[in-house]
Amino acid sequence: MKNACPSGCVAADVLALAGRWALGGFFIYMGLNKAADPVAFLKLVRQYDLFPTPLLLNGVAALLPWFEVFCGALLIAGIAVRGAALVVAALLVPFSLAILGRALDLGSAQGIPLCAVKFDCGCGTGEVNACRKLVENTLWTALALWLAWSRHGRRWCLHPELWGGR
Amino acid sequence: MLGEALVIVLAGGALALVANALSPRGLQLGRNYFPAAASTTAGETGGLAATGASNPAAPKRPHGFPVVSRAEVEALLQDPGYASGTVLLLDARNDAHYRAGHIPGALQFDHYRAEQHLGVVIPASFAARRIVVYCGGGTCEDSEFAARMLRDAGVPAERLFLYEGGMADWQAAGLPVETGARFSGEIKFASP
Repeated sequence: MKNACPSGCVAADVLALAGRWALGGFFIYMGLNKAADPVAFLKLVRQYDLFPTPLLLNGVAALLPWFEVFCGALLIAGIAVRGAALVVAALLVPFSLAILGRALDLGSAQGIPLCAVKFDCGCGTGEVNACRKLVENTLWTALALWLAWSRHGRRWCLHPELWGGR
Repeated sequence: MLGEALVIVLAGGALALVANALSPRGLQLGRNYFPAAASTTAGETGGLAATGASNPAAPKRPHGFPVVSRAEVEALLQDPGYASGTVLLLDARNDAHYRAGHIPGALQFDHYRAEQHLGVVIPASFAARRIVVYCGGGTCEDSEFAARMLRDAGVPAERLFLYEGGMADWQAAGLPVETGARFSGEIKFASP
């Protein structure tokens, strides 16, 4: 078979499939949680004080949840996998930096260490421990980058690349 | 891969715009949901004392509206004007919270969904001499934003007051709450 997986790579492909589905499922779950109550998400995004105009703030709060669902669906279906994984990684990095900045501010204001800070980061799961969330995001980012750069993750896909066919 | 990512960003952004527009809970992108605090207004010099109520030294906050205490809100519920509509309580929380329990007789005004409420709230506000707005309490700011929206709609600022303790304070005192719709008659008492 022309495109047969060389010996030893099946396990990596299975791992990539599991990772793709986990990452995609995570993004769909988080996105739908936010989309279910956009006003609550809007208030949480506002707390970061990152967006100087209502249009930017509203745009992020209104569009990001659905964009996350879209990216998650691409990963699960296996469509443009590397591009989707790259976009997901590009989302996770600024998310994590924003969470770190906010957690440091809260920790400073409350006089507690970073890893004792608990707050609703607007991530879609309610109140979280800042350190745990940062570790979790780092692992998701690593997985997304691996999917983006790896040769694996293209089996069992509907359309792994937008150009060039299957 | 970068080309794919760009296509995904554009397609995802377009789909998200459509989803937000179609969703009944979608946000209005151009609207300012958090209007900045006003400077001095007529409301800052009023207080319930100015309209005949009990606390002439109501504490003020930068939002520009005088605040009322739980005791004052309790007194307002006994005011004959509360039944006739010249005294109005506005609950600035969302549907779920309002239906779970609000101060008896309070009218809902979730300013994030203003279009659903203004048709009732605006006439009621113009008919009222005193309007007390509350939300969840604690760090909740929704009562302030709701009051600002009413003031911007032309409701005289001196009629607007905030009950900052909100539902948290009300329920902590074990006072009655009405569940479901306004005047549903379903009253329960929260455990203090």
